[in-house]
Amino acid sequence: MMESLAISLVDALPVLSGVPLWTITLLVMVMVAAVVLTFALTYSGLATYVERKVAGDIQARVGPNRVGPVGILQFLADGIKLLLKEDIIPAKADRFLFVLAPYLVFIGSFAAFVVVPFGVGLIASDLNIGIYYLMAITSLVVVGVMLAGWSSNNKWALLGGMRAAAQIVSYEIPVGMALLPAVLIAGSLSLQDIVRSQGGLFGIFGWNLFHNPFTFLSFFLYYVAALAETNRTPFDIPEAESELVSGYHVEYSGIRFAFFFLAEYGDMFVVSALATACFLGGWHVPFLDAEALPALWGNLLSLGVFLGKTLSLVVLMMWIRWTLPRLRVDQLMRMAWKYLVPLTFVNLLGVSLWLLLFHGEGIPRMIASLFG
Amino acid sequence: MGLKDYLYDIWEAVATTAKGMRITARYGVDPRETITLQYPEERWEPSERFRGFLYNDIKTCTSCTMCVRVCPVDCISLESVRGADKKMVLASYDIDIGRCMYCGLCVEVCPPKSLKHTSGYEKASVDRGELILHFIHEDAGEIKARVAKQVAEAAAKAEAEKAKAESEKAEAEKAEDGEPDSRAAQKDAPPSAQPAAPADAAGNPEDGGAAEKKPGEEKE
Repeated sequence: MMESLAISLVDALPVLSGVPLWTITLLVMVMVAAVVLTFALTYSGLATYVERKVAGDIQARVGPNRVGPVGILQFLADGIKLLLKEDIIPAKADRFLFVLAPYLVFIGSFAAFVVVPFGVGLIASDLNIGIYYLMAITSLVVVGVMLAGWSSNNKWALLGGMRAAAQIVSYEIPVGMALLPAVLIAGSLSLQDIVRSQGGLFGIFGWNLFHNPFTFLSFFLYYVAALAETNRTPFDIPEAESELVSGYHVEYSGIRFAFFFLAEYGDMFVVSALATACFLGGWHVPFLDAEALPALWGNLLSLGVFLGKTLSLVVLMMWIRWTLPRLRVDQLMRMAWKYLVPLTFVNLLGVSLWLLLFHGEGIPRMIASLFG
Repeated sequence: MGLKDYLYDIWEAVATTAKGMRITARYGVDPRETITLQYPEERWEPSERFRGFLYNDIKTCTSCTMCVRVCPVDCISLESVRGADKKMVLASYDIDIGRCMYCGLCVEVCPPKSLKHTSGYEKASVDRGELILHFIHEDAGEIKARVAKQVAEAAAKAEAEKAKAESEKAEAEKAEDGEPDSRAAQKDAPPSAQPAAPADAAGNPEDGGAAEKKPGEEKE
């Protein structure tokens, strides 16, 4: 992917023909990484603003409205504030781990952007084990959170870290199980392949969401489990302001705190993007065939559609956060092991049987074949 | 837990979540539900009978000290002297708005209705001294001195007039008699001394007010 980009760059600019290919490939890689990171950071900043606005609206308040028009520059002001704040490391903290933890969380969350299929050709790296990679790399967050809790040498932080580990490990299982139907239907772990398998039928009825009743349920199971995996209310027991002060990042300040914060919003995007790619047709534009369009328009339209779907899911997460109260620890565990895990198993079995019985045909496609 | 209960639990979780989200959506979407007042730009209009900061119209105030006596937190302090025309003149009238609890008793009790609640509610200060509202901006000492001077002038004038009248009378009497000179002087002495004496007593009305209030409280 990167090499082909580099080759096309050399073709376009004959000046570069003397330069060895690997340098250009490296350059392209760095540039793509910079673009993706810039997008991720801008999105995270804006998401904090939107979150506060949504919270304000739901609580009959206004939300930030002073910095810039309707407060849209609030996130920049917050970012500058966090950059300028004193960076405090507790005296009894394990300095190395304390410093390392926010980077692990940040990497775990933002490395996942690599395989997010933004558009027809807009994917930093179309790994053939995309979903697997994504699940694996987001697990790095657990390590970071645990380290943060442990190294702070603070009982609240430690409790928060332990809870986070228990929670994320528990919810990985239903998340994986709920995603498997999409993998089964596409027959591939690559996210681009999964998205492509949902094309046709006006770009809406090809979605895995409508493939069969089990996939429909699967989407909601995935969404609930993913919500828990991102440590957001109602599943935010690792942070739990009212009982653990703010959990694993209680001792963090300044830019290190900002890393945790950005990672949380990055996680939200990744999880929503995965839901979009696996169940909501990814970048497929309704009523149009994005892949048949000219490259520029196809990419732009599909990017817009993908971001639209994903950001709607992000807003839905915020809406849920400001609606529901926090679950107790035992309730959280019960929900994972007694409800989500069995349901996703049954669901997976259902999808498998469906695919076996109907030779991989979904309900919309059967109806379409009835009409010829 | 049977399967029925299990499924019912799931159904309940979904239904209650949907219910809650419908409520928050209504609050989120409906702009009428936003109750925030953008304070410096928009101001809250107090209702008609709102008890805001106190205002004393010192022109109609009679310095009766009723407000001072009735105030449960002693936030009103008043100084007055008796003027030349026998009426009380306010030397100072201060209300410590930081101590006031807006009970409105002073307004209720004010006989000339000079003390009123305004609709004012905005007062922020960096110093507690700024919370004391001064209704007389002149220095109390100056007013007292001026009033005392006026009183003294009036007394002197009265004395002079008396003396003049007396001398005229004496002259007239001299023409007749000449005897009742000392009797007249004794009779005139108290009225001329009277204006000065209450001025001294009213010099510190707070003490007098407090002393008078105590028996009143015991009665209650």
